[in-house]
Amino acid sequence: MRLLLVEDDPALANSTMRALQSHGWTVDWSTRGEPVPQSVTQDHYDLVVLDIGLAGIDGFETLRRMRAKGSNTPVLMLTARDAVEDRVRGLEGGADDYMIKPFAVAELVARARVLTRRAQARTDDALTLGNLRMDLSARRVFVGEQALELSAREWSVLEYLLGRVGKVVAKEQILQSITGWDDALSENAIEVYVSRLRAKLEPAGLRIRTVRGFGYLLESVEGGT
Amino acid sequence: MSAASGASPSLRRSLLLWLLWPLLLIAPAAAGLQYVLALKPALRAFDHSLGATVISIGNFVRTSPQGLQFEMSAQTERSIRTNQTDAVFYVVTGPQRELLAGDPPLAEPPISLAAQEWHFYDARVFEQAVRVAALGVVCGDAVCQVRVAQTTGAREALRNDMLAGTALSLLLLTAALVVAALVATSRGLLPMHRLSRQLGSRSLADLRPLAASEVPREAITVVGAVNRLFERVDAGSAAQQAFLADAAHQLRTPLATLQTEAELAVMQPHPPELSATLHRISAAATRAARLGSQLLSLARSDAIARSATPTEAVDLKHLTSLAANEWVPRALAAQIDLGFELQSAAVNGNAFLLQEMLDNLLHNALTYAGAGAQVTVRTNSTRGVTRLEVEDNGPGIAPEDRERVLQRFQRGAQNLGRGSGLGLAIVSDVVKAHGARLLLKEGADGKGLLVRVTFESAARRQNTA
Repeated sequence: MRLLLVEDDPALANSTMRALQSHGWTVDWSTRGEPVPQSVTQDHYDLVVLDIGLAGIDGFETLRRMRAKGSNTPVLMLTARDAVEDRVRGLEGGADDYMIKPFAVAELVARARVLTRRAQARTDDALTLGNLRMDLSARRVFVGEQALELSAREWSVLEYLLGRVGKVVAKEQILQSITGWDDALSENAIEVYVSRLRAKLEPAGLRIRTVRGFGYLLESVEGGT
Repeated sequence: MSAASGASPSLRRSLLLWLLWPLLLIAPAAAGLQYVLALKPALRAFDHSLGATVISIGNFVRTSPQGLQFEMSAQTERSIRTNQTDAVFYVVTGPQRELLAGDPPLAEPPISLAAQEWHFYDARVFEQAVRVAALGVVCGDAVCQVRVAQTTGAREALRNDMLAGTALSLLLLTAALVVAALVATSRGLLPMHRLSRQLGSRSLADLRPLAASEVPREAITVVGAVNRLFERVDAGSAAQQAFLADAAHQLRTPLATLQTEAELAVMQPHPPELSATLHRISAAATRAARLGSQLLSLARSDAIARSATPTEAVDLKHLTSLAANEWVPRALAAQIDLGFELQSAAVNGNAFLLQEMLDNLLHNALTYAGAGAQVTVRTNSTRGVTRLEVEDNGPGIAPEDRERVLQRFQRGAQNLGRGSGLGLAIVSDVVKAHGARLLLKEGADGKGLLVRVTFESAARRQNTA
């Protein structure tokens, strides 16, 4: 697992690198944003940890150029600024997550892990998590070698959740994403699909947590995402 | 302005003082002059009519070969002595001051008068105050004297009437001027009162310049100075916000380094005797880092609350949904069941401040509720009243501590040594900045803590006010 850390403060960069390395990740470090778009298209990175306040072009601009070059590498933005508009701007600009300094190492590591898992889960025609594999072109799901029977709705819900591993997803969002113009689904129906999926995914070591009154969080049990 | 009138000089009072004390001097002087000037001719008229009586009595003095004669009929004498108000006395004396007719006491004191010479004087006759007119009358080759006296009743009555009249006109004039002065100062100061009301009713954040057209010319310099002060405060507040943004950046980075290094030290292999120390360093670094962030938030929320930062429509449901992704994993890590009951809840406010408020409420709930607890965030809005609630079923805050924990750097008795004591102070500041209300009470079943922030729409506030 390879990470690119973009941070212009040497002391913080050093300790952040060691924190990430201690979890077995390979970390490269850049003090500036300019070379980043080139680096992420040349080499494979699982995650870019990107500080907003940089000398030269800032984190927002770096992210914009990365995405303009067609890079899908997940980005975790770090900021010393505390304005709420920074958060919105970062996420709208294509960042996958956002953390305000100072942060707890455990939380940084946990969020980095979620982002890399999510990225790894997605290949061109499949989503994988643990020993679950969702073949998008064949529209088939396997737990190990065992095929899993899913209804069309269950498939849609699982696809949506797998694309957002480790992320809290509102019921409303699932509903909006899986219903077409002429469908009239209630949030109760989503609950039914999720409870069926929960039973079917348990053998695969996947857990769908309920966030009371809000939605769901898909994680793999042994990985602790 | 009126509240400070006890100590500071009052414009109204000094205006009144300078209008009224000259009046108090001038009005009596004018009245005195009027009295004297009017009284003199009136008294002269009295003397004149007294003189006419003298002349008519003088006509009765005759020189004949037998000597001087004075013959006046009893009827004439009666008519002379008859007067509406006063007693009239007369005396006629010959050249050697011999009594020819009349009341002898009036002949005293002797006065020598030439022929046709008048003398008017005050005297006492028969123990009464009298005004006397005396005239030298030709009698043969010599000069006789006729004196007529009249008691002063009519004169006193005139004097009293004139005094009363003057006093009354003085009073009326003074009263009219005092009323005019009071009205004039009040009306003249009305624009000042309007100005002070206008300033007094402003929110701290309202630094728009005052319109010079609404104030009198005399106050334009004051308004100009106030407007320049507003500009400086506004610029100062903008500079302060810029400084805080810089300070936030500068301070957060080393704090992040400190916290990370401390956590790394705990995680790395170390001599067991250092373990306790490293944990304490790590905990202290975490606390220092959070305290630093909170101080910056507090300073920034102060600056925002004081500046004319415009409000925006913020849906608390949306704000909470954004926060959910961040806080649910933290709640899971703390083994807390974080749940939501979110309905659309729009308020007018500052998104940054509201976000800070929510973050601090969630941080407190997750920190103090304890593992296994339930924390619920609610947003809803009915009939112009919008509520945000964060409820937990943890240990709660004792009723006697609830007021205190809203102060900066105050912690509940159960939580000494944990937290900065700033969380609820930030919440309280944000609530105040939004004109909302903050309520701390026990949660459902009398357990835990329920923090409720109530926003009322401006329209509703006006209705109930």
